[in-house]
Amino acid sequence: MICENCKHEIGPEDLKCPNCGAANPFAVQHQENMQQFAGEYAATEKEVSGFAKAVEGLGKKAAVLVVLLVGTIVMLVISSLNYADPDEDEAARRDAVKNAAAYADEADGFLERGEYMEYVSFLYAHELMNFPPEEFRRFQCVHYVAKEYYECIELLEEMILRSDDPDYHDGLDTDIRNFCMYLDGFYEVYEAQKSAEKSEEYLAYILDMEAELKAAMRTYFAMDEGALQEFLDMSQAKKAVKIREVLRHE
Amino acid sequence: MNKKLRVILNILLVAASIAFLISLVNLIASIGYANREVEDPAETFAGVFAYELDHRAYGEIMGDYYVRRLDRFTPDAGYEDLYRVAEYAHTAFMTRVYDEKGDPEKASLNREKADRLRGELGAYEYTADEVDGLIEKAP
Repeated sequence: MICENCKHEIGPEDLKCPNCGAANPFAVQHQENMQQFAGEYAATEKEVSGFAKAVEGLGKKAAVLVVLLVGTIVMLVISSLNYADPDEDEAARRDAVKNAAAYADEADGFLERGEYMEYVSFLYAHELMNFPPEEFRRFQCVHYVAKEYYECIELLEEMILRSDDPDYHDGLDTDIRNFCMYLDGFYEVYEAQKSAEKSEEYLAYILDMEAELKAAMRTYFAMDEGALQEFLDMSQAKKAVKIREVLRHE
Repeated sequence: MNKKLRVILNILLVAASIAFLISLVNLIASIGYANREVEDPAETFAGVFAYELDHRAYGEIMGDYYVRRLDRFTPDAGYEDLYRVAEYAHTAFMTRVYDEKGDPEKASLNREKADRLRGELGAYEYTADEVDGLIEKAP
């Protein structure tokens, strides 16, 4: 650098010319700038270290919190998978929808052969009884009657084939009570669905179920048509007494 | 502000720790559940079936059969004998019904079916005789 006053060479940080003593404006300005920067640096350093002190440990805690939350979610997912049992009914429902037409044909086959018990079991086993697909709408009236017929025949079989071993539990009275209840239920449903059924083919099945149920009662309750009609007109309680008399030979 | 943040973070940490521990316990329990020893229902049923046969409780057998068949139309392993015995009993029961109803065709078909089912009973063929006895003497 050259002194503007005496043109003598001076250093860039010399505040005055060592030859003439004139002030070096660049060095003076530089010194002022450095002082300003030092002040700003100190203020920034103070601010940064103050903030660092304030948030000291928060990052670690936040990281631990995230780890805990992620761990909790993962464990909950695994637990729910462990507790979940396979839903076989769901698979059956999907299968029913997929094969609805074929199952409907099979159901028709059971009805044509007069296998009403098999018909009901088949539909229940394939989840077609309670939530039937469109293909099963035509069976609706037959469904209702067949369900009641099924209960009645099942209970009749249980009563007739009950154990004759005196040491075995005797559930006859319960079966009789249930049979009387289902028998009344059958006739309620039968009368309603007989009128509602539009298809002659399916109406024939409904009438056939009633004829079979009557024949079963005539056979196993030892009644002729007149006695059976009288029996059917009785209250549930009287029916139960009558059946008990017949089956217990009282 | 920072103090509030610390308090909130500490509360969250405590809550997350508790949730973590509960989930851990739940996870351990769920592993136990998933690996639990499941009783084979067919094995249990075999004992029930044998008991019912010993006591000629064919009514109970029919009940078991109908309940089971609502779920499984064809028998699973371990339930074949129940289905055979009950199908024979139902066929024999219905044969008398068809006779009474005046449906000789169905009665005849049923008799043929009963004969076939009797042949399939194997070691349980004696049950067909017992069932026939109960049906013949009824009511």
